[in-house]
Amino acid sequence: MITGTGVVKTYKQRGKVLGAREVQALRGVDFAIPKGGAASFIGESGCGKTTLGRIIAGLETYDGGEVAIDGVSMTELKPKQRQPHFRKIQMIHQDPYSALNPTRTIHQTLYAPLSLRAKQTGRPASWIEGRATEVLSLVGLDPATVLSRYPHQLSGGMRQRVVIARALTVDPEMLVADEAVSMIDVSLRLGILALLKDLRERLGVSVLFITHDVATARYIGDDGELYVIYRGQVVERGPVDTIIADPVHPYTQSLLSAIPVLHGLEQPGEHPVMPLESLNESQSDEGCLFARRCPFRAERCTTERPLLRITEAAPQEHACFYPERRSVIARPMEV
Amino acid sequence: MTKQAPGVRIDGLTVVYKTPAGELPAVRGVSLELPPGSITGIVGESGSGKSTLALSLLNAVQPPGRISAGSVDIDGLGDVVGLAGEQLRKARGRHIGYVFQAAQNSLNPLKTVGKQLLDLGRSHGVEDLRGLVREAKDLLGRMGLDGARVLDSHQHELSGGMRQRVGIMLALVLNAHLVVLDEPTTALDMITQANILKIVREVHDERGLTTLVITHDIGVVAEVADRLAVMYGGRLVEQGPTREVLASPEHPYTRGLIRAIPRLVGDIDEAQALPGRPPTLATVPKRGCVFRERCALRMDVCDDVDPEAILRGRRTVACHAVAVKEHA
Repeated sequence: MITGTGVVKTYKQRGKVLGAREVQALRGVDFAIPKGGAASFIGESGCGKTTLGRIIAGLETYDGGEVAIDGVSMTELKPKQRQPHFRKIQMIHQDPYSALNPTRTIHQTLYAPLSLRAKQTGRPASWIEGRATEVLSLVGLDPATVLSRYPHQLSGGMRQRVVIARALTVDPEMLVADEAVSMIDVSLRLGILALLKDLRERLGVSVLFITHDVATARYIGDDGELYVIYRGQVVERGPVDTIIADPVHPYTQSLLSAIPVLHGLEQPGEHPVMPLESLNESQSDEGCLFARRCPFRAERCTTERPLLRITEAAPQEHACFYPERRSVIARPMEV
Repeated sequence: MTKQAPGVRIDGLTVVYKTPAGELPAVRGVSLELPPGSITGIVGESGSGKSTLALSLLNAVQPPGRISAGSVDIDGLGDVVGLAGEQLRKARGRHIGYVFQAAQNSLNPLKTVGKQLLDLGRSHGVEDLRGLVREAKDLLGRMGLDGARVLDSHQHELSGGMRQRVGIMLALVLNAHLVVLDEPTTALDMITQANILKIVREVHDERGLTTLVITHDIGVVAEVADRLAVMYGGRLVEQGPTREVLASPEHPYTRGLIRAIPRLVGDIDEAQALPGRPPTLATVPKRGCVFRERCALRMDVCDDVDPEAILRGRRTVACHAVAVKEHA
């Protein structure tokens, strides 16, 4: 179980001309990912979803709020003390081409973390080889052919599986997959998504999936929670299928409207929502963060910021004064 | 001067790359027609030869690659495979605009966009550079950008979506009427992608272009293209009107590819990954059908004979199994 309360992250930029500027990457985010559960963070580039993922994986610090792993708060701990906790959370990066050392065989890549793990848990060196074979089989690779290969001898899909196998060597409780399928060939993407789902079921690891493609979020498990993040704030949160079927926040609606319609197979939703302008970080922080781009903004939205809560409008949490259901996603054609 | 949208006829095009294992074909015997004023989308995975095919339109395949057979006939230009030197350089930009993958390195990081625009104008002998800048500003404004600001910006000051629009502007500003977009929305998020696709469609209609979009994402093609061509292992396996192909794909690869798209609605288990993996230059079978290793409809004949592309109605499909079914 990993939880976050009011997590804040601010990046300071040193300006040459105008002096220092601050960019609020996260503005008080709450989250809870149960053991064996699944969660997906979605949003545009620059919304803060990757920063949050990196904080959860221990690769980034935070300035405010609290992150707790299995009930232990990370805020007070020294970096050295945090380490054993963050071992439980492993990151899978977007680009399997650059995530693996090209001069090492897969065997060497897996051997290093495994020997460390053997030392930590007091297992004999003989355990390492067996475990290497085991993790490769877990991710659907044939150890006999893969172990002696170099990364360039494998396809993108296979490389991503190796990256996942490497994450599994340290017995993680959670995998953080940041756009883990966006660089994989289309015909193989579902294979990787199915693998993540399978690992949840078989090993009980939880999966945090970070993506801008909402459709892929469905495939790591229908019990997953979806967090829609906009400018460092969660604007809608709830079960994946509920939000996809019935989004009430205009930002979620724009994200879903932007997904290409497979004309011939699908018909577009009746009321697609397009943001009025593109994301601009320098927009004022007053009122609702989405107000400037929102086609439905009212007077109140520019002065007051809505909080994440449940209203009569929808069963999922949303941060909007005027939540409304709109049919935005493409429906299959009626035959 | 108004130019008409040109038609393009690619016939029997083969492009080979020299490797230690001999010359291997990245594109093999591809015939494709781009009707004047249409948007055609080429879909394929990595190694399918789609980008090589696109570069052939400019006769810009770099060594160790070369066009070894076939022709690319463009209205008003003739066969570009036969062009060379100065003639070829003039054709690129003037007649054919090419939009490279934006997030990658297609803009010069040391020069402002405006300076690059002027370079482009000078190298093509444009006399009225002020006019060129005005045209560029109009185009950028048309795409929802502040033209003056963008022209004064360096690449790093622009977001991915803005750079993509700059790429489209540079491809169109010399009044080219054949435009090739290579992965126009890869690495952009969904909302930006939707905006760019809308712009591509609108600019296409307004200026009367013939457009070719190269992508790995069927969704992109579905959104903008009139016609869809699917490439696999250097071969064109199926082509036809986008809606028809999506509604009733015939080639087993097209079917598998469409089934492999994660969807927002419908049964989760219906979507399936294709077994196996796409071939690379070295692993493409030399004889027989390129897709047979991953094909559920594989027959004996597929091992030896490369299926020919057969035209039926408005659709072309290269598959033995589909041809047999048709005769039965």
